[in-house]
Amino acid sequence: MGTATGIIRALNSGIKHIAIKRFTLRYPEEKLKFVGDGYQFDPSAGVGIAGLKGRHMLFHDHCTGCQLCSIACEGVAEAIAMVKVPDQQKQNKKSIMPQIDYGKCVFCGLCVDACPFYALYMTNDYELSSFSKEGLIYTPAQLQVKPYVAQNSEIQITSRGATHG
Amino acid sequence: MTEQLPPGLALQKVDERIMTLNVGPQHPGSGHMRIIVQIDGDYIVACDPDPGYVHRGEEKMAEYRNYITNIPHLERPVIHDSCNVLYPYVLGVEELVGIEVPERAKYVRVIASELNRCIYTMYWLAIYGIFLGHSTMFMWPAGDRELLIDLMEKMSGARVTHAHFVPGGVRNDLPPNFEDVCLRQVNYFEKRIKEYSAVFYDNPILIARTKDTGILSREDAIRLGTTGSVLRASGVDYDLRKKEPYDVYEELDVHTNVMKEGDSYARSKIPWLDMLESCNIIRQALQKMPKSGSVRTKLKPNPKGKGLNSVYKRVESGRGSLGCYIVSDGKTEPYRLKLSVGSFRNLIALPYLLKGEKLGNMPSVYWSLNYWPVEADR
Repeated sequence: MGTATGIIRALNSGIKHIAIKRFTLRYPEEKLKFVGDGYQFDPSAGVGIAGLKGRHMLFHDHCTGCQLCSIACEGVAEAIAMVKVPDQQKQNKKSIMPQIDYGKCVFCGLCVDACPFYALYMTNDYELSSFSKEGLIYTPAQLQVKPYVAQNSEIQITSRGATHG
Repeated sequence: MTEQLPPGLALQKVDERIMTLNVGPQHPGSGHMRIIVQIDGDYIVACDPDPGYVHRGEEKMAEYRNYITNIPHLERPVIHDSCNVLYPYVLGVEELVGIEVPERAKYVRVIASELNRCIYTMYWLAIYGIFLGHSTMFMWPAGDRELLIDLMEKMSGARVTHAHFVPGGVRNDLPPNFEDVCLRQVNYFEKRIKEYSAVFYDNPILIARTKDTGILSREDAIRLGTTGSVLRASGVDYDLRKKEPYDVYEELDVHTNVMKEGDSYARSKIPWLDMLESCNIIRQALQKMPKSGSVRTKLKPNPKGKGLNSVYKRVESGRGSLGCYIVSDGKTEPYRLKLSVGSFRNLIALPYLLKGEKLGNMPSVYWSLNYWPVEADR
């Protein structure tokens, strides 16, 4: 193949892309859709449930204050600290619950695997930026809130290329 | 020249013709490392790669963490290829602790590992394109990578650093309907990367720049101990997926791509051919995978190695053979952990390849070695 034909073929292959749909995701306006409600773990089966490893969610009525999540985080990120909570649940006699520092968390989800009481799950919320370091520390009360996520873009493959529909 | 001083500091006889250039560690064309090049006019006389700027002490850190908490930090050396970095460690711990892996988990691991190999290679290819001033080849792989990252995100819940493999299987089962989505996106991905041949690999400008530069002969490739795509580009048919099959690779039909030239062009084309092969492996694995079943053998919360024991496992990563040597003394932490990585082995060839080349060819020869600075430094 000659040099000229090679260059024309290369240009031609690029020009074809004018007719192909845009693949870019316009992030703040469009957000990717994820499977499920985030990463969860089933301790009786010993296997996780697929989902995004995002911000945690703590179920106060299940948490016993056993500190297993905090122990699991030792040596990984040391992001979980057990703090005193004023309201005392019936089963949480120590009245301590995890507080998570998202400045340190690496979102590995080993704390979710460690929880034997279905109390700690992960959600699809990944937008956790803050203006201060203190804003990244989520108290048990903040972790209790179910996040609002408006994520609906999925990859669609059409005859004119892939796009985030 | 005194031998004791670190590279670049040793005293040298002044030669008016020879000039010493420090490429890196802040140079965009070197990554996190320095290449000390001595040039005579436009030609390279000698070259001394100087890695070590991103040393993290991964091996020492592993001695203070138990077998499970080692997982998140051990995949940090190559975050784009994190499943493959973790693979030998997980295989080794399984042998030390003595647990069996369910059949379905093995297939899930193979799919994850092949997807990760493609994700890494696309990133590497994007940087190779920008090194050669080919901005289309930077944009296309960076965009098409998204197809596979989306699959890994559905599978493991993270876009990079998945922490998906554990001793005993994988963390979670595949999401519902994953097989169809995976097949559709991998097929489209394969169609897309086939378009790269017209714009990049058959492009006469690329061929003129990379053909016959930095030739590594078959004998030298074996003698210097290079692995992976560098070895296969020099005509040695060696792929651990075929030679020492781990997990279910022996049940799959793996074809290795070999080229005889041993120049930069061959070294840059082999990873691209490997990606096409990875698409085949993923399709085979999806077909042969058991449709249901367990994906994780239950492990005790803090597993211990059985007595004084050691194990060495290696897998084929995106950059060549990646080995992990674990010594256990019966405690919950490994006594010693050693990673043997492909990047560092391939870097050894750089001084031999660059001697006599033009300085302008340095980026293409250097990046064609499939070198990842962070992995080499560990």
